[in-house]
Amino acid sequence: MKNTFSRLLLAGAFALAAPLSVSAADVTLLNVSYDPTRELYADFNKAFTAHWKAKTGNNATVKQSHGGAGKQARAVIDGLQADVVTLALAYDIDEIHAKAKLIPKDWQTRLPNNSAPYTSTIVLLVRKGNPKNIKDWDDLAKPGITVITPNPKTSGGARWNYLAAWGYELKRNGGDQQKAKEFVKKIYANVPVLDSGARGSTITFVERGIGDVFISWENEAFLALKELGPDKFEIVVPSVSILAEPPVTIVDKVVDKRKTREVAQAYLEYLYSDEGQEIAAKHYYRPTNPKFIEKYAHQFPKVNLFNIDEVFGGWQKAQKEHFADGGTFDQIYSKR
Amino acid sequence: MSFKRKYIHTAVAATLLGTGVLAFSGNALANDSSELEALRALVQELDQKIRVLDRKSELAEEKAEAEKKAAPKVVAGDKGFGIESADGQFKFRLSGLLHADHRWAIDDDELQSNDGYLLRRVRPTFSGTLFGKYDFRFTPDFAPNAANVQDAFINARFQPWLAVQAGKFKTPVSLERLQSGSDLRFTERAYVANSLTPNRDIGVQIHGNLLDDKLSYAFGNFNGVQDGGSSSNSDNNVDREWAARVFAHPFKGQDNLLSGLGIGLAGTTSDYTGALLSHNYRSPGQNSIFTYAGGVNGDGRQNRITPQFYYYAGPFGLIGEYARVTHDVSRGTRSDKLSHDAWQLAGTYVLTGEDNSFKSITPKNNFDLSKGTWGAWEIGLRYSELNIDDKAFEGTAGTRYASAAASTEKAQSWAASLNWYLNKHVKLQTTYEHTNFDSAFANVDDREDEKIFFTRFQVAY
Repeated sequence: MKNTFSRLLLAGAFALAAPLSVSAADVTLLNVSYDPTRELYADFNKAFTAHWKAKTGNNATVKQSHGGAGKQARAVIDGLQADVVTLALAYDIDEIHAKAKLIPKDWQTRLPNNSAPYTSTIVLLVRKGNPKNIKDWDDLAKPGITVITPNPKTSGGARWNYLAAWGYELKRNGGDQQKAKEFVKKIYANVPVLDSGARGSTITFVERGIGDVFISWENEAFLALKELGPDKFEIVVPSVSILAEPPVTIVDKVVDKRKTREVAQAYLEYLYSDEGQEIAAKHYYRPTNPKFIEKYAHQFPKVNLFNIDEVFGGWQKAQKEHFADGGTFDQIYSKR
Repeated sequence: MSFKRKYIHTAVAATLLGTGVLAFSGNALANDSSELEALRALVQELDQKIRVLDRKSELAEEKAEAEKKAAPKVVAGDKGFGIESADGQFKFRLSGLLHADHRWAIDDDELQSNDGYLLRRVRPTFSGTLFGKYDFRFTPDFAPNAANVQDAFINARFQPWLAVQAGKFKTPVSLERLQSGSDLRFTERAYVANSLTPNRDIGVQIHGNLLDDKLSYAFGNFNGVQDGGSSSNSDNNVDREWAARVFAHPFKGQDNLLSGLGIGLAGTTSDYTGALLSHNYRSPGQNSIFTYAGGVNGDGRQNRITPQFYYYAGPFGLIGEYARVTHDVSRGTRSDKLSHDAWQLAGTYVLTGEDNSFKSITPKNNFDLSKGTWGAWEIGLRYSELNIDDKAFEGTAGTRYASAAASTEKAQSWAASLNWYLNKHVKLQTTYEHTNFDSAFANVDDREDEKIFFTRFQVAY
């Protein structure tokens, strides 16, 4: 009897310790995102915390981490305790499942539109007056043109850029992969600086004044015009570009450990709400809700878009062929 | 920057020379618009190249900074040597304690004490933290006899008020025992710590700090050890031993004379059945004063209670504790409840004015002959006493509980110490301790007084 009581008391001490490190009502989330979404999530987080407070009476604080999507995904795999990830492309989130099993394999089916609350595309940003007369992707391959784009090894946006250029050439030459490779090689021969993320490349082009053309996320291009004035830059809409679908997901192992699943899920679902879609559009991300697609149609240029599945067979295949070690990027680009 | 200017000057000069602008000619001035355009294009090209170089340098610096932040840190300083991750969540430390002692037994006609040099403690400590809250510690001791494991435990800090510790560590009972071996003010601990209360044991405890660190508690379950003993890797008691301690600093943080007061109470309880042969009460010279006879067994409860306190104000320090241990014992058909007690009161004063504390003294100025600085100096005075229950000596040699060699029912010790802290890590300690003994038997002389002069050279880091 005495021994049993002793053991129960000891077991109770251990059980007591387990949940005590987590606060019941106030919650802090970490959103690990890609490089250019700083302004978007600064506004969105304010809106969500106000919404959560009004709905539940509890406080939710959202901390942000930004960087090249590939680097960010690796940080989460290596242990960064992200409650949610909002990255540039699905492959990086697939890696979080493949390398660390932090999320289920079917994560992308859990939210609407393949878990992409907003989309974007790739455009070309040039100096005001377009002094080098850039009209389309083929101008980027010409000698004497300086091109700014980030490093596809670390940046999700850079991978969209690379595939947009490759896809353009495939459509132009009737599907010749070798010609597409030569074409992209010429473009990268014109790249003097490879930043690790899209925001770094924006700084290089816009603030440091380097380059003739910046292969940019659409939202970054609009941001540059808005922040620095339409008298400094112009957007050149290429004849064809890629549909970029930056996806989002909760990180299951983290939210279950931190007991933040409910808030994290609500946070991502709020991206699809009316307010979430408005904020996305305000920051030049293309909404996915048809009501807001129509409302903001005037804001976004009409672009002939292809998606990664139809041209490249999906992200797994594209990553392996182009961006893995020894892939086409390694073959065409050497450090200078 | 000087590289950039040199690059510009060299490039522009070379270009101008190359285009013949500097040629001595009446047409040197750039009136020709095509040449002007060429120059403009060249300058723009050079400007871009310089910007690219600057940007690459900037990115390289950012990358180096990021790598530096992510890189593990090698630590070598007053807390030992170690390595820790950039975020501080993972740490590994190597520290240590060395006690090189000399004992001189004065007037030791009966050769009771062992004179000479000895290594009292040789303890490297491997410690660290995993995931920011799981601490571990492993301390072997290679002295004074065979190598043994002193400490080996893990401590999980869930909250400041709740931590769980498991392994082998100091039982939370005696205040002087809980004081680190490197922080002692007298070379050897007094009777409460050395004889009556447990040293180290294997078990598990919860502990923490409450009320803005004004109250600490510890509550644990252990194998149970003999008085003054340490647990080996086996249990020589049938039942577990419960230990509990609370210690308060009621005036902590207040600006008054009592802010340095700490008071507490600790105790243990267990069913102790088994031979009591390993109970060994020792003098300051580590000589055995009292042991139980063969055939004497614990036969019921073993309880200890230890009220304790300390007080520090400026250079002055005072520490005191009392311990009473009660054993149910039996020998053959005879059984009794024996109660032994001990207490001590010790005062110290730092002559060089540094603040006194339960932990070690940190000199304001390290000992350095070239600078004429002498470290910190401290004096101490202690009285301690051990009383064995009279009932232990009742009966004949074949029935009494005390062993045949044990005749002392009381020991009284006076100690004076002089400590020299050369710096935070090196200390020279001297203690003179005079102990007199009272015999339990009218026809047995008191044991010869023990007069020992201890010297200790300590390195602790």
